[in-house]
Amino acid sequence: MKYVILIFFIFIIYSLASALYYMMKDGEGSKRMVKALTMRISLSLLLFIIIIFAFWMGWIKPTGVV
Amino acid sequence: MQSHNQYFVPHGSYWPIVGSVGMASLLAGFASSLHGSALGSGAMVLGFGIIIFMVFGWMGQVVHESEAGTYNKQVDRSFRMSMAWFIFSEVMFFAAFFGALFYARNFSVPWLGGASNNFFTHQELWSDFKAVWPLIQMPDPSKFSVPKDIIHAWEIPAINTLCLLTSGATLTWAHWALLNNKRNQIIAGLAATIILGIIFLSLQALEYGEAYKHLDLKLSSGIYGSTFFMLTGFHGLHVTLGTIMLIVILMRVIRGHFNPENHFGFEGVAWYWHFVDVVWLGLFIFVYWL
Repeated sequence: MKYVILIFFIFIIYSLASALYYMMKDGEGSKRMVKALTMRISLSLLLFIIIIFAFWMGWIKPTGVV
Repeated sequence: MQSHNQYFVPHGSYWPIVGSVGMASLLAGFASSLHGSALGSGAMVLGFGIIIFMVFGWMGQVVHESEAGTYNKQVDRSFRMSMAWFIFSEVMFFAAFFGALFYARNFSVPWLGGASNNFFTHQELWSDFKAVWPLIQMPDPSKFSVPKDIIHAWEIPAINTLCLLTSGATLTWAHWALLNNKRNQIIAGLAATIILGIIFLSLQALEYGEAYKHLDLKLSSGIYGSTFFMLTGFHGLHVTLGTIMLIVILMRVIRGHFNPENHFGFEGVAWYWHFVDVVWLGLFIFVYWL
């Protein structure tokens, strides 16, 4: 489960970084940046739901809970 | 709005000297307060005030110049490049703190507990010490504020995560509205983002109050308290800055600035907010869960 969360997080960073790249590279009126940011927020919300679900199923425990 | 062919250079500006005076006053005040001078803190506050005045004044002038059409594509590129360097410094800043957390959790604390080839170190220093994370049982508790408990993920942090992620969604909604030239939707999206940012900061303040008053979890609570407050505290500072930046962008949208073709100010602030959002997600995962 830990690795699923990490893989999701890597994809989130990738989409954020690509949005930065498009912001630097593209001229005015391009929609590539906002599309990358839409991907970033969608993945983040999905990851949050996965964490809640994994916690509910008992697959992960928060830090400090033994 | 017409663009100039040459790189725009203003004829004269007093803002650099105002900024220099502010910085000199801030640093002289800081140095004086370290020496116990009564005037030190006053000079620091004055210097900080002058810097804030300079930032708003100078940025305001840049906004006016932009709206007057004095900037060309080359100026636009220089803004984008400066944003990239700013982001680079921010990434390095947070990488250092996340790195400190990673090093403490995975190396230094286990080593003190005898991991790897540190059996004799453990025996020699604190043989009763058990390497457990979060480290709230210090080897020598007399030197630290020993916490009764930590902040659990499934309380305010989870609500705060939802708050920030929702703010990312409302900002993206406003971003699409800007590209589709729907001005009311931009205003609604930005206002919702700002409100969610303020709710996040209020809940964070509540959490800090709870940690300090009831849990004895403080900045002085050893490596756990230090990394926890450094990471979440600096993140909170970034949310505060981001909220101020969003308020400025909202004011500009209300005044009719930006259009689907020309809106770098909006893009820069939007990306910054998404970055702060991802840093929080990283904090939520690495501090509270993994």
